[in-house]
Amino acid sequence: MSAEIDIAIESRGKLIENLLLFGRLCKLLGMHVTPTSMIEVAQALDHISLGHKADFYFTLRALMVHHKRDLPLFDKAFKVFWKTPGEKRPILNPPPPKEWNSKRKLQFLPPLDALPEQQLDPESEAKFIAIVPTHSTLEVLRHKNFSDMSPEELMAAKRLVSELSWSLGQRTTRRFTAGKGRTLDMRRAFRQNMRFAGEMLYRPTRTQKIKPRPFVILCDISGSMERYTRLLLHFMHTLASSIYQVESFVFSTQLMHITRQLRRTSIDAALREIGSTVNIWGSGTRTDAALHTFNYRWARRLLGRGAVVLLITDGWDRGNSDHLRQEMARLQRSCYRLIWLNPLLGDTNYAPLTQGAKAMLPYVDDFLPVHNLASLDMLARELTRVDWRRSQKNYSLSKTLS
Amino acid sequence: MFSSIDALQNAFAEQRYIAERSLSTIIYLAQKMHKPLFLEGEAGVGKTEIAKTLATLMNAPLIRLQCYEGLDINTALYEWNYAAQLLHLRLLEASGASRETMQSSLFTRNFLHSRPLLQAVEQSAQGMPTVLLVDEIDRADEEFEAFLLELLSDFQVTIPELGTIKTDHPPIVVITSNRTREIHDALKRRCIYHWIDYPSFEKELAIVRARAPHVPDSLARQVTAFIGELRRMELFKAPGVAETIDWVTALIALDQTALSTDVIRDTAGVILKYQDDIEAVIAHDLLSAMLDRATAIADSV
Repeated sequence: MSAEIDIAIESRGKLIENLLLFGRLCKLLGMHVTPTSMIEVAQALDHISLGHKADFYFTLRALMVHHKRDLPLFDKAFKVFWKTPGEKRPILNPPPPKEWNSKRKLQFLPPLDALPEQQLDPESEAKFIAIVPTHSTLEVLRHKNFSDMSPEELMAAKRLVSELSWSLGQRTTRRFTAGKGRTLDMRRAFRQNMRFAGEMLYRPTRTQKIKPRPFVILCDISGSMERYTRLLLHFMHTLASSIYQVESFVFSTQLMHITRQLRRTSIDAALREIGSTVNIWGSGTRTDAALHTFNYRWARRLLGRGAVVLLITDGWDRGNSDHLRQEMARLQRSCYRLIWLNPLLGDTNYAPLTQGAKAMLPYVDDFLPVHNLASLDMLARELTRVDWRRSQKNYSLSKTLS
Repeated sequence: MFSSIDALQNAFAEQRYIAERSLSTIIYLAQKMHKPLFLEGEAGVGKTEIAKTLATLMNAPLIRLQCYEGLDINTALYEWNYAAQLLHLRLLEASGASRETMQSSLFTRNFLHSRPLLQAVEQSAQGMPTVLLVDEIDRADEEFEAFLLELLSDFQVTIPELGTIKTDHPPIVVITSNRTREIHDALKRRCIYHWIDYPSFEKELAIVRARAPHVPDSLARQVTAFIGELRRMELFKAPGVAETIDWVTALIALDQTALSTDVIRDTAGVILKYQDDIEAVIAHDLLSAMLDRATAIADSV
């Protein structure tokens, strides 16, 4: 086997090196890539024409992806890594921070001379590009406000939203498993050292297990949010199907629990069911009442174990702002991190000056826009950074405002 | 054990536990069908107390496992006493024992710490009646839930070095949950499920009389009725039965024979544990009206 690889390396120069780097990138991103699968990839490359980028892509994908959920991740990694030099480099979602430290980051930046240019003949490249939206149209779509999109663009955006991959913040639990850590694993230590007559030669340790945080989404579907609602529901559906533990709610004058409906695999079926059960579309907003219901009925059950709360609203509120302040304060106290997503924040002239927004702002940990695809990307990055320590309370914007 | 549901209900009442018909039926079924009892409800409605009462009635030891996140086999099932084993090993070495002796004498029952779950299995394997209380399972994580699932299905424990310990008379298992998270259906499916709600006025009065017999009846009525009124208010954490009993005891300690708005303000901390709730009740314009209503209920029944 090793002789074969040697030959492969000799004949391909940098390709194998880059291939292995790519394998490690995929592994870092959380995919299950083994040395065996990389050897298989190297062998498989003998059988395809390297000039054909699409073939190359499918070969890698077939041999390196073993799970449906890894597909978008792989695509993204592939796009970034095997690009022609000079292309603008999109930013990848950073993987869970434990594995990603600054040293490694440098090491795994995509090499600039990743793929020898002469191996790509222009025709096949064009074919490949025709399959996916071109980078420039994508870029335009990414930065277009959801409310300005044409129906076709909305369709494309929805597709892109459902392709987004999410790796959420994680927390250290109090459960220990075998691994590098500080506490000695007595059970294993004793067993392993029996063969040395009890001399403590091996010192296996235990480490704290890491788990994804539970996640709660509260989405405003009142009249003022109407232009965003459909896309946001798509977004919620994607989150609900890709994250370990998500509870979803929509609210306007009341709060409604839609986790069960969103569990439907098909987004259309889910939306139909939500449409028929939820009867509060497009009415006014009483955020205080909705949050009150959440705090009193649900918070205790859902916000344990370091939950992250996503509150999606434009801050237009008809309710009592004193009550809203109280409920926001309680919500922030009972969750690990409260993130406010505001579609209006995309507008550069926007300032949170409405009664509701002023009341809410002091109690959120992060205040982020959610008006276009680029902002969703940003959110994805923000969510992976949620870890380890709580953000400084009172978002700095609120300080500058007051 | 209990010949009928009525017998069970009476036996519980003798132990000063007032169980309504539905609860008595569930407990009766659990012990007849050898199924675990899964009790869910707000804090302070008497879930843990059921297990204690059952243990007293059956004259069985109560083996209690308090759950928390990260609870593992070492603390729930068994653990070897490694320090003692190492010492023993040194002694054997010094005495020049053979390899076989070393191996066979190291992993014996002497060096095994039984934790609650193993204790329960061992005791019932010896034919002793046993009540196992798995308290506040919602605090444990999914890993422990899965482990418990396995144990509850066949009540057998395998220790690689010692063999399998199995019981044909499974212990009575009571699992409680405060519902700070939803427990997986797989576990609930293997149990008999019961949601314990706040009791009615009459039932709660009976509980207060049983648990605090030295309290004057008028005060007990008034306090119970007032707590009922509080539960009708929208509070973050409504007071449980345990709080009612605490409150009458506290009032007796303060030599109070009747409730007044001042007394309520001074002792609110006994029944309400959230500052927002205390403020809401104390600042409530209708506090005296609430008290009047409670007194009226107490007098009319």
